[in-house]
Amino acid sequence: MFKTLKSKVIFTSFVMLTLLVSVFIFFAIQSRMFTKQLMVQNYGYSIDALFVDDINDSIMTLEDNLKSLALIGGLHYRTSRSDELTDEVIIRIFRNYPHTLGGGIWFKPYIFGDNKKYNCFYAYRNKDNKVVLDKNFASDEYDYPNQQWYKEIISKVTPKRNIVWSKPYYEKIGSTTKMVTAGTGIYAKGKLVGIATVDWEISSVIKNISKMKPYTMTFSMYKKGKNIKNSFVLLGHGDDYIIATNDPYLDGNSLVGHSLKEVPWYAPDLYWKTYITYHGKKYIPFWRKLHNGMVLVICLPKSEMFPYVNDFYFYFTAIILLLIFMIFARVYFGMNRYIMNPIDKLIDIAHKISNGKDVNIKIDKPAEFAQLASTFDTMTKNLKTITKEKEHINSELNIAKSIQASSLPDVFPPFPDRDEFDIYAFMEPAKEVGGDFYDFYFIDENRFMFLIADVSGKGVPAALFMMTVKTLINNLSQVGYEPQELIKVINNKICQSNKQGFFVTMFAGIINVETGDITYINCGHNAPLIKSGTGEYKYLECDSNIVLGAFADFDYKIVQSKLEVGDTICLYTDGMTEATNQNNEMYGEERLLEKINKFDNDDIYTMASDMKNDVIKYSEKIERSDDITLVIFKYKNKHNNMRKTIYKAPASQENYKDFYKWLHEICNQWQINDELKNKLDMCGEEIYANIAFYAYPQTQGDIRVAVLKDETQITLKFADDGIPYNPLEKPDPDITLPPEQRPLGGLGIFMVKEMADNIQYEYTNNSNILTLKFNINQNVQ
Amino acid sequence: MNIELKNFGLDGLYAKTSGRLDLDSAVEYGVTIKTAVEDAQEEIKELVLDFSEITFISSFGLKVVLELYKEMQARQGSLKLKDIPEQLKNSFKMVGFDKFLDLD
Repeated sequence: MFKTLKSKVIFTSFVMLTLLVSVFIFFAIQSRMFTKQLMVQNYGYSIDALFVDDINDSIMTLEDNLKSLALIGGLHYRTSRSDELTDEVIIRIFRNYPHTLGGGIWFKPYIFGDNKKYNCFYAYRNKDNKVVLDKNFASDEYDYPNQQWYKEIISKVTPKRNIVWSKPYYEKIGSTTKMVTAGTGIYAKGKLVGIATVDWEISSVIKNISKMKPYTMTFSMYKKGKNIKNSFVLLGHGDDYIIATNDPYLDGNSLVGHSLKEVPWYAPDLYWKTYITYHGKKYIPFWRKLHNGMVLVICLPKSEMFPYVNDFYFYFTAIILLLIFMIFARVYFGMNRYIMNPIDKLIDIAHKISNGKDVNIKIDKPAEFAQLASTFDTMTKNLKTITKEKEHINSELNIAKSIQASSLPDVFPPFPDRDEFDIYAFMEPAKEVGGDFYDFYFIDENRFMFLIADVSGKGVPAALFMMTVKTLINNLSQVGYEPQELIKVINNKICQSNKQGFFVTMFAGIINVETGDITYINCGHNAPLIKSGTGEYKYLECDSNIVLGAFADFDYKIVQSKLEVGDTICLYTDGMTEATNQNNEMYGEERLLEKINKFDNDDIYTMASDMKNDVIKYSEKIERSDDITLVIFKYKNKHNNMRKTIYKAPASQENYKDFYKWLHEICNQWQINDELKNKLDMCGEEIYANIAFYAYPQTQGDIRVAVLKDETQITLKFADDGIPYNPLEKPDPDITLPPEQRPLGGLGIFMVKEMADNIQYEYTNNSNILTLKFNINQNVQ
Repeated sequence: MNIELKNFGLDGLYAKTSGRLDLDSAVEYGVTIKTAVEDAQEEIKELVLDFSEITFISSFGLKVVLELYKEMQARQGSLKLKDIPEQLKNSFKMVGFDKFLDLD
């Protein structure tokens, strides 16, 4: 699905981006919540600081005032002070407590004797903020002991020093006002004698409450706070009564003294509530218990509390998301520019290089790719060098191969002057230099040795070893050992010079070409194929002994046999039988037997090439791993009264003398008459001169001459390895011309043609072969 | 090789050698005689080659004979071969030299 690097990176980035955004949004929401919680906490602190503490202060002052009054009342009762003195003290106290609307001391009825029912002192602050006494309460008309506040307070002031706050009520003090009275008992000699009270005017409380407009909490650097407009406050008498409220949906005045249950949103567990919903709006209640047990609830509208928080988080989130997207875009485009584009470029370059084009590899940016490109460049150059070196090595290997191949005799017929046998051999090397070889030579006048061998291993080491072994066998064969001894010596020598543990399989035949007696030596090699007379080829049965180079002093069993005219023997290496086709099936010995009989031919050249082609065709789809080597030896005829002599020397004018002396000697030996001798002399000289002058224009080379004689004919065979030249194609000179018009050259060949009874020219295996035949009988006649 | 050279008469040169006139010796034979003809004080008009002791002549020898014949012709002289052995006459005939040379 994501095969390319690009799609993988994009996919990964996308996943990471999504994750990052999710995490960020999650933390933003959490953080906003946390911020709001912190702000709510701060609202709480500021409410405490701004209002609750103030109110508590007032309450404590009132209570102080009340305690003072109670002390004065107690003093008055115990010391029976004059009323005037007490009045005076009260006025002074009130001056010290400006928060107090009014207050007084109320003795129980008849506490000062039966004749004095009412005894009270009351002072209040008039409209001019002056403290005045009001003596009107000690009258039957008011009858303070029967007032509701008196009864309520006096019933609750025990035990001692208990402070009681009354329900809100209306009282006419100066003018009629709504108030709450706090009272405490006056004790004298352990006995409750009356109460002291102070009045707290609710109107002023409400006025203060109305002013409660907390500042919005903001990020100070952002915007200054402002009043929260739609807040409202409730002051309750414990959980029971409404003391004051500025709830905009309620009539605060008329509800004073009513049960708190009449406030729709109020609940005793309000303290725990995070918010309330009231008239479709959300409010956060701040619930505070005051010093005197009253309850203050401040409700702040949620919508005004966090004026910039949502905005802030919205913009903050937006900016961060934008940043993330910008980073992603940067990464994406950066990846394209700095990674994908150089990669594309490198791919393109690699294509070009693989197509063999010369490319200058250069990438400037980024540094890693520049480095990669320069490494690439170096690599390409190194590759070129290495390729060149490899080619060099290959060409050296090819040279090695050709040296190896050229060390094998490949001129056929190798002994054009020898009619007793035909031999043909080839080695078709595998891709690398291999270890197969063949060889053949006369080891004395009549004994001819031919052999095939396969050195274990491949490559240059095997080839080197092969050359050593080949030379070794060749040298030792010329020494004159008898076969049995010869092979033993060869084996021992190979064992000696074989530290690398190579071994050689070899099959050799040593035949006396005059008699047909043959000795077979098999050293661990494949059994050769042999055909006797007109029969079919069969595998030769002979002891395969052991490979050469394995055990020194091994006694090889040799086989003595005899070849008749027409017998043919075929040697091969396992490269032939073990050649495989594309199904990995071997050519095999059965197939070889079948094919050799199929390709059997008097002409062993054709036969050999047919066999070779068949194997090569068999394994044409496979790279051959082993050389294919074949040697075919055909015994043609024995000497049959034939006499034969061979001359071989470098072809040069200087050597001519030796040549004709040799020829004369033969003529004398063979008792050839003078006329024929003269012919041979003349023709011999002519052909000799031709070869000496023209066959090797640049180089030196040999001339090989054979003279054969049977009952009827003398045969002169000339061979050279020089440039191909057929002298018979030269036009005859016109011998009827007058002497002055005659050219000086061209007489020789003409004379040869005149004298010889039969002339044949052939060019085979890189040799010019000219055969001249002279009839003996005719000459006798 | 040993070549016997003799002047005879006013303008005659006689040359005699023995052995083979072949690849090995023909050129030397030809050059020696030609030099003798050219170096003579009197102009040689008659050249006699004594073949009596020649045992073998090849195409190279015949070529020299033709060369000398042409040389003498150019000098408006003549070339005579003396005492050619029988077995050599065939060679001369074979290349048609009997047409302009007296073999007997």
